Amino acid sequence: MAKGESPLKQFEIQPIVDINFLGFDISFTNSALWMTITTAFILIFFTAPFFKAKKTNSVSDLYPTRMQVAAELGFNFINSLLADTVGKEGKKYFPLVFTLFMFILFGNLFGMIPYSFTFTSHIIVTLALAMGVFIFVTVLGFVKHGVKFFSFFVIPGLPVYMLPLLIPIEIISYLSRPISLSVRLFANMLAGHTLLKVFAGFVSALGFFGILPLVFIIALTGLEILIAFLQAYVFAILTCLYINDALHLH
Amino acid sequence: MPQLEQVEFFISQLFWLGVFFVILFTVLTYITLPKIRAFLNQRDDFVKSHISKQDELIKKAESIIENYEAKLTEAKNQASQIINDAKDKALKESEDLIKATEVKIQHEIKQTEERVAKEKDTAISELNDQLKDSATNFLSKVTNIEKGNINL
Repeated sequence: MAKGESPLKQFEIQPIVDINFLGFDISFTNSALWMTITTAFILIFFTAPFFKAKKTNSVSDLYPTRMQVAAELGFNFINSLLADTVGKEGKKYFPLVFTLFMFILFGNLFGMIPYSFTFTSHIIVTLALAMGVFIFVTVLGFVKHGVKFFSFFVIPGLPVYMLPLLIPIEIISYLSRPISLSVRLFANMLAGHTLLKVFAGFVSALGFFGILPLVFIIALTGLEILIAFLQAYVFAILTCLYINDALHLH
Repeated sequence: MPQLEQVEFFISQLFWLGVFFVILFTVLTYITLPKIRAFLNQRDDFVKSHISKQDELIKKAESIIENYEAKLTEAKNQASQIINDAKDKALKESEDLIKATEVKIQHEIKQTEERVAKEKDTAISELNDQLKDSATNFLSKVTNIEKGNINL
């Protein structure tokens, strides 16, 4: 980082290829580049090991390769996550949760590479993902239950005189779901990367004693990798819970 | 904060997010995940079939062990029977032998006693004869009477 540069400069979007479509600016930017890399990596990581596996003839064909084990790990992780939160009906929504989790996870993780760009650190991206989940879950609820979906806002077993107070609260909490979902991810990524940059600035500013913030950065990078995983996990598990709510109401 | 200042790139970000998310979702849903699932199912089936095969083999082994034990007890019973039979037989034979021997011994004792009695009789009669002889001889010498005339 050059002197006097803002630690927020890393979040700047730089267009790589200017594209204008019907008056809209859809330039291919560094954000889009890292989305490309993430998408390509996920597809190769999970698809390639299983393309080698042809029809099994002998037992040894059933031994998974190392890459297969790694891919199965991700598969089983989301599978059990969905089974624990939603149950058997959750199988239908497996691809959605899997895609969301992997996209956010590898977006976060690739953001940890120096000089890369973290597209999940942009509120517009996380908000779009969260709104997508929110709209999907709401539509799902209406499709499954019709008008009965509104009973979701009425907590069962509550005295009637409490309802005028609690129904608005329930509606507000429901509507704030996409905001909390998106801001949580965005703020975590923003804060972590900013903190890393600030301490990186101390390394050059302190000269010899810069070794102290350097050690701190190393530890912090480990923490950030944990957070990168954790936030993707939180996003996925909340999506599962919202799907569960839409399917079962209470 | 570029996240909120670079509004001009919002549409670009949304557009590319949509494009890549849809690509990722589609490929994962229709190619990748079915492949992984198929592979996992195949392996599960294999493992399950082997577990059922294993159960069968365990049952077989158990039946073999039962069979073996049954045969073993049978053989043991037979062996003890044979031993008992042999013991009984040997006991009877030895008893028979002892009885026969006792009878024989008794018989011999009797014979021997008879012989001894006979010999005793003959010896006594011989002694009598000799005494008679010597008595007649003595009397004839003393009395001068012919031996033939003396009658004791």
